[in-house]
Amino acid sequence: MKKLLVLLSMFMVLISMTACAPKKEQIVITWKQNKPEIDAALQAYAAAYEAKTGVKVIVTSCGGSSCTLGDVLKADYAAGTMPDIFPIDGPESYNEWKAIIADLTGSDWVAQTDVAYKDGDKVVGFPVAIEGWGMAYNADLLTQAGIDPKTLTSYDGYVTALAILESKKAELGIDSVVSMAAGPGMYWVTAHHNFNSLLSNGLPYGSKDVANALLDGTIDATRLSEYANWVNLLFTYADQTVLTTGNYDSQVGAFLNQKSVFLHQGNWVDGNLKDATFDMAFAPHGSSKAVTDGIFVSAPAWYVVNKDSKNLEAVKDFLSDMVFTTEGQDYIVNKAGMIPAFKNITLQPAGQLSKSVQAWAAAGKIYSWNQYLFTGDFRDSTLGPIYDQLAQKAVTVEEFTTLLHDALATYATTH
Amino acid sequence: MKKLLNLFKKDPARGLERDMFIQRMVFWIFLFPALFSFFMVQIIPFSIGLYYSFTNWSATAQPSIDWVGFKNYIDAFKDFKFLYATMITSIYTVLNIISVNVVAFALAMLATSKLKYRNIYRAGFFLPNVIGGIILGYIWQFIFNQFVPGLATVTGIGALSKTLLGDSKTAIIALVIVSTWQYAGYVMMIYVAALQNVPAELLEAAQIDGANAWQRFRAITIPMVMPAFTITMFLTLVNSFKQFDVNVSLTNGGPSTMFMGQAIKGTTLLAMHIAETSSVGLNTAQAQAKAIVFFLVLVTFSLIQVVVTKRREVEL
Repeated sequence: MKKLLVLLSMFMVLISMTACAPKKEQIVITWKQNKPEIDAALQAYAAAYEAKTGVKVIVTSCGGSSCTLGDVLKADYAAGTMPDIFPIDGPESYNEWKAIIADLTGSDWVAQTDVAYKDGDKVVGFPVAIEGWGMAYNADLLTQAGIDPKTLTSYDGYVTALAILESKKAELGIDSVVSMAAGPGMYWVTAHHNFNSLLSNGLPYGSKDVANALLDGTIDATRLSEYANWVNLLFTYADQTVLTTGNYDSQVGAFLNQKSVFLHQGNWVDGNLKDATFDMAFAPHGSSKAVTDGIFVSAPAWYVVNKDSKNLEAVKDFLSDMVFTTEGQDYIVNKAGMIPAFKNITLQPAGQLSKSVQAWAAAGKIYSWNQYLFTGDFRDSTLGPIYDQLAQKAVTVEEFTTLLHDALATYATTH
Repeated sequence: MKKLLNLFKKDPARGLERDMFIQRMVFWIFLFPALFSFFMVQIIPFSIGLYYSFTNWSATAQPSIDWVGFKNYIDAFKDFKFLYATMITSIYTVLNIISVNVVAFALAMLATSKLKYRNIYRAGFFLPNVIGGIILGYIWQFIFNQFVPGLATVTGIGALSKTLLGDSKTAIIALVIVSTWQYAGYVMMIYVAALQNVPAELLEAAQIDGANAWQRFRAITIPMVMPAFTITMFLTLVNSFKQFDVNVSLTNGGPSTMFMGQAIKGTTLLAMHIAETSSVGLNTAQAQAKAIVFFLVLVTFSLIQVVVTKRREVEL
């Protein structure tokens, strides 16, 4: 018993000694990010960064269908553990956190990008990557059907091509011409991405004219009706099951297994298409009678810095490291498979669709993303169900147009 | 304090008082952990939530939280999606209460009859209840979307080829099927316990008097298990109203339907609608107000239900 007491007291002394010993506090950066698919790549990069600089970067991922980043950030904020770096995806989330977002104007990476998030002249967001979407096509099947992808730049071009493909379904071994999803859980494909065709297709890059007019309550009936026909065209040639009840896997799977010629998605599907044995690229959307030769390209999200962070300088250094060191560039392009948003990075992502986005961007044939000018609630809870109604064939294309028209008009009066 | 110390002085005259005091202390000490956690995780958050429902609280970095009175409540009742969610949740609740209880009672009758392996059946029926609702939703989504239509191609039964999840009306039925599958086993256990407590001599006496199986069931078994009905009705009512996880994973609130001339997600039940008001609509204070309304509605309905079913219980 006595021995035990002695041992215990020695242990206590030891603990108090180590507790009192002066130690250098390690700099810790906390980073919350929204792409679960690049989590492993990020963790590896963070570990390498710690080995190099001694600064510990703790990365937590929250995204996809299992984790709502907005909710988690609110919980963090309430708990006083707001991360040092976190993503925003547009004006709506920027406005939520504006009060604690640091001004990054003058950072060395700002000069290297065209797509930083700005509040007026103030640079606040570090672009995560470049992403783009259009109509991804299976080049092999198009060739087999004798269709030149260059003709796919307008509504009429698509009407012709889709009809030819439909007639050759058996010959090509496909279930449907287009792989499209509009059902529950897939409203982001219709009400976020496809909706942007109405707002941005054919306009100069950066133009918000159509969106602003809609927000003012001025609706261009011709543009809207041409757009509605485009949606209807895609739905008509889509597999009804995938369209109404399919999820991401079934939509992308149909394209991967060569059961459809077109896929309405963006270059992020590259990760799912690693096993594809055919050539693919993006064609423009044909949402108007006029030729619209370009795809939709922008930064999907931006990292912002918490201005109350204890290690503001370390955080800024870390962001620079990602852009200017070979390790950082290797992480962005090779490990995470993203298209870099910075001009000084010359590496090329391996994915075919990412390459296609880069090619369109290099040719300057790109259109903006303006869907963020409308709230997420409007897109998910109001527009999404309208597309779903057309997908279910519960409404005609005329009724669909009226529903869209009324929803947009109501939105303009209430926002 | 002095009085308290005096109490513990050796004074045989005050022995009884002392014992009483100790007993009271023990009572409170044992109650403390439960009370403490009840206050910490129920009373306090509920009060804060009640307060927030009268403010413009956004849960984000906002300069100040301002009092807005009943604005959130008025806005909530103006929201046609909230009205739709209340309506569809009520429909779902009625269907689900009937379905769960009928199935659970039938299973309980089976599991208390003289079947071989009846304990295995009991365990089997109970098993779905231990699977998490989210996983269950995804499994059943696969069954409805892939397996059943697949069955249609194999068997040639055309009626199966359309997935229940493709239309909002049938999707509600799908929700009822899944939650019945999940919950009936649990409710069955309550019925099993009640059925085993029905005195055998009563049934025997009735049989001797010439009552047939149906008469015995209606006049003896049902009245005798009435207390169990009070409990199961309450549990299924509350559970159906609060349905969230299966709703999210099975139907994701869709597919859409038309309501008051507008397209709307057809199977978004109240709990999911409230969560969406907060995380999609970014209107945390209004979501809080809706949650308070939800609470009041639920309390009212369950009180009515308990009072009504209690009246039908018989004492032996």
